[in-house]
Amino acid sequence: MNENEPRPLYMDFQATTPMDPRVLDAMLPYQVNYYGNPHSRTHAYGWESESAVELARKQVADLIGADPREIIFTSGATESNNISIKGVGRFYKTKKKHVITTQTEHKCVLDSCRALEAEGFHITYLPVKSNGLQLEESFRPDTSLVSIMTVNNEIGVIQPIKEIGHLCQSRKIFFHTDAAQAAGKIPLDVNDMKIDLMSISGHKIYGPKGVGAVYVRRRPRVRLEPLQSGGGQERGLRSGTVPTPLAVGLGAACEIARQEMKYDEHRVSMLSKRLIDKIMAGLPDVIMNGDPEKRYSGCINLSFAYVEGESLLMALKDVALSSGSACTSASLEPSYVLRAIGTDEDLAHSSIRFGIGRFTTEEEVDYTAEKCILQVKRLREMSPLWEMVQEGIDLKSIKWTQH
Amino acid sequence: MAASTVLRKSMGLTLTIRTVSNIPNLSDWARLKHCRHLQHSTSGARCQTACRSLHTSAGLCHSDEEGAERERGKDVVNVVYVDRSGRRIPVKGRVGDNVLYLAHKHGIELEGACEASLACSTCHVYVSDRHHGKLPEPDEREDDMLDMAPLLQENSRLGCQIILTPELEGMELTLPKITRNFYVDGHTPKPH
Repeated sequence: MNENEPRPLYMDFQATTPMDPRVLDAMLPYQVNYYGNPHSRTHAYGWESESAVELARKQVADLIGADPREIIFTSGATESNNISIKGVGRFYKTKKKHVITTQTEHKCVLDSCRALEAEGFHITYLPVKSNGLQLEESFRPDTSLVSIMTVNNEIGVIQPIKEIGHLCQSRKIFFHTDAAQAAGKIPLDVNDMKIDLMSISGHKIYGPKGVGAVYVRRRPRVRLEPLQSGGGQERGLRSGTVPTPLAVGLGAACEIARQEMKYDEHRVSMLSKRLIDKIMAGLPDVIMNGDPEKRYSGCINLSFAYVEGESLLMALKDVALSSGSACTSASLEPSYVLRAIGTDEDLAHSSIRFGIGRFTTEEEVDYTAEKCILQVKRLREMSPLWEMVQEGIDLKSIKWTQH
Repeated sequence: MAASTVLRKSMGLTLTIRTVSNIPNLSDWARLKHCRHLQHSTSGARCQTACRSLHTSAGLCHSDEEGAERERGKDVVNVVYVDRSGRRIPVKGRVGDNVLYLAHKHGIELEGACEASLACSTCHVYVSDRHHGKLPEPDEREDDMLDMAPLLQENSRLGCQIILTPELEGMELTLPKITRNFYVDGHTPKPH
């Protein structure tokens, strides 16, 4: 990007978030002054680092209603998901070899399940059609774990975590939820919702990149086979020096999120409604993907019919957006999440995800809506499909031939 | 024990001399060796320091009385230890015995680094499946220490927290291949 060009507006808060300046303030002293290893037991550098890490642990625990001893710092939600799924699966594998998850999970959850499949496990990938999750029917006597994400990163849908948690607890099955997009945005309580394992990501809640946490319940005890062997740090579940500045940053981000959750939620839903109303009023044939009621308002996934998604993204070059999640954007296939919720393939190709966060302003939302309407109209003018629809031809009746 | 050790050291003596009563067929020297071998039994044996003359009060080595009772078959609980090489060692324990100290008494390599104070995981054992459910629920601190043990399984417990009861008859205690104090050179620490 040219230095003189103004930077694009950032509307991709599901991919990552800017670090809150207050979090940076909390982290800096631990980068240059209080730089001790928190596991050094014998001197003040170690003691001050350890107390900072323990304070951060408490801040993370308070966000989700957990005990600080139940929080393990990791390198991010991907590692937390790997630890939860592979760890629980492998520990109980002598008697239980079945894991249940959904088709709309994040790639790291699906890939961890695939790795277990290669080790001889049976995995059930539940479909997520409009009649809800058929969870109870898929329980087996040898089910050890259910993994269902709280808020989807592509379409913003919120799963009924409390009901799922109670159902799993009644059958003595462990319940893991990937709360990377949910923690700090919607209220979560691991005891109220009967969650046994939870993954948290630092850079989704205005914290530093490269840190996350996993909540592992102590009562009743959830046992894991650790992925990372070493000196036994973090209860033996994740060996390795805990990065004090990153942990402090995560703690500060969680504390800020807990205090400002209500205010942020109100503001984000107001901006979200503004964006959707403007776009829907300005354009016909716009479909919102995902459940309209049970959703997090900051993640809006819209499909613009008869327009190709990638070309719209290129046309909106002064707004930073994405179609599908960041981890699948390299491939040309439309998102598997949209396919799983039953979106038509042509609509899946034309979907754009708008992300609204703590630092989004009204002007940004208005500008995005106006530009979007302008560009979609322009692209539709060029589209032969749009012409055919205007003439009244039903596109579904056409037989396309290859040549 | 610590105070009397200090006392003995201050008097410049290195021998601990105890008197023993009524052990048939043992000479004096053998009795002395016998007592020192039983130094780390759970019940405290009375020991007297010599200040230039032998005290001969009626001190008893309690373990020997226990040994006599064991022969009579009262409160016997038979357990089997399976050591790291797979060798099965049947042991006659008594009700109320601590599994860790019972192992030490029979020379089994169960390391108890913290001496049953729930501060380590070196006495980690696998309990046979049909007895695992009969043990009481682990204390939260025991669970915390077990979290740190390598090669953890569903039937893992800390040996120092298992007290023998009659229903644990026939229990098999398998030692895991490694403990947290793993010595890659094959060194095994002596029990203290």
